[in-house]
Amino acid sequence: MIELKEVTFSYDNKQIISNLTLSIKKGAKVGIMGESGCGKSTLLRLMAGLYRADHGTISVDGESDPEKISRKVSVVMQSPMLLPLSIYDNITMGHNYSKEQLEKVIKMARLSSWVDTLPDGIQTYIGDRADELSGGQAQRIAIARAMCKDSEVLLLDEPASALDSENTKSVLDAIMEYAIDKTVVHVTHQLKHLEGYDRIYVLKDGVLI
Amino acid sequence: MRILGLLVRRNRLHVAGAVGTAMLSNISQMIYMVYIGELVNRIESREPITAKLVIILVCFLISNAVTVYVKHYFGRYAAEKMAHTLRMGYIGNLLKYRKNTDTGAVMSQVQNELSHADEYLSNTFFDITDLLLTGVLVFFFLLFQNVVLTLVIFIPTVLILLYVKWSSRRLSGIVLKALDAKEKMNRVSYSLVHAFPAVKVYNGDEMCIGTYEKSLNSWGEQEADMERLNALYNSLSGVLSRVPLLLLLTVGGYMVLKGNVMLGTLIIFLNMQNTLKQTIMNLPSWISGFKVFITNLDKIQN
Repeated sequence: MIELKEVTFSYDNKQIISNLTLSIKKGAKVGIMGESGCGKSTLLRLMAGLYRADHGTISVDGESDPEKISRKVSVVMQSPMLLPLSIYDNITMGHNYSKEQLEKVIKMARLSSWVDTLPDGIQTYIGDRADELSGGQAQRIAIARAMCKDSEVLLLDEPASALDSENTKSVLDAIMEYAIDKTVVHVTHQLKHLEGYDRIYVLKDGVLI
Repeated sequence: MRILGLLVRRNRLHVAGAVGTAMLSNISQMIYMVYIGELVNRIESREPITAKLVIILVCFLISNAVTVYVKHYFGRYAAEKMAHTLRMGYIGNLLKYRKNTDTGAVMSQVQNELSHADEYLSNTFFDITDLLLTGVLVFFFLLFQNVVLTLVIFIPTVLILLYVKWSSRRLSGIVLKALDAKEKMNRVSYSLVHAFPAVKVYNGDEMCIGTYEKSLNSWGEQEADMERLNALYNSLSGVLSRVPLLLLLTVGGYMVLKGNVMLGTLIIFLNMQNTLKQTIMNLPSWISGFKVFITNLDKIQN
């Protein structure tokens, strides 16, 4: 469960989130829409514990310390945020996962058809070739990373913004398939990406409508 | 090369003036050196120094200053004329065939090839021509003075040149590796900053610190290797560069003591060995600079 109570957040002396209260039930799929620069990503980062609210409280599954919230959620950002390491390291982030779990995640993120064609497979070093990856490939690695962590809460910040329509469908379908029993908060400015969601909010002038 | 020929032909008077004055300046310096040698020989053999000799020396001293001035003036003037001809020729052709011109390619050429060729012509071309001319004239002048002493300077200098070429080739490989490691390290640190939210959410601190330290160590090792080899090759090349002078003093001194060579001749060699050495040592960098210049001209021509 995600709870935001009277949350206010300012950046560079500009109030971005104003006295916002929101409650998201466990397993709910919630979409947040709004124009560019309205504070959608900031709200998501607050929920992910990446920012601290100026006022009010944010809790995820009863935890309100931002450091601990970060450990409880998985996030997929607009930019895949890949590191100059192998595909394996980018997915596991240095943690140990079983082979079966990794294979399952790679399949769910729809990476297998590409990874299987690589000479070094999942151990392929993408450090020097991160720019050569397609937006879809890079974003699928980021999704596989989120799936691998297997948190109860999945936060998505326009995960399909850099993808073409074919890749967008494939990536969003993969996410929905995986997150069927998870709590999902998806921030986007495209309504069509929120098909099948339980609730859709619009963020305007720092408040949810 | 065709464009260079064209530029020289179009400015033949200026080029001939620049080359002619450069030769005149060198000849003046060499004659001056011959008289200096004569002066030393007279002192050594305790003969009187005549007023005529002193006047000749003063005249050539003045002549040296004047010819150097004239040489620089003509050189710079010819260089600017050639650069101007190149620019005007390029623009003229551009306007003539503008219908079939790709604007992007033209802009790129103006910014790169033309400006490089222009800069080379204005700043380097005649200086190098002058130094090459000086080197060749000094070589034949010294050869005319004494064959053995000329070879005593020439052969070790060529050997040093070969060593410098070999060591710089080895160094450039190591430098490239060090640059590559540095680039990798910067890329890692940039990626870590960029991906910090992901690192935090996915608790990847340890892995990232490990990656950064690995890239830092790799860069450190490459840098240490580069500096070590740099110090080794450069210190050796510094020591070797003294060898021609040392040989000249040893062999020349021996020949003077044996009476095979006059002290004045040795003084001429001691004075001019540096000019010859510089010409030989700088030859590779001049050639590579000239090659880049010709490549730029060829691109402009195409």
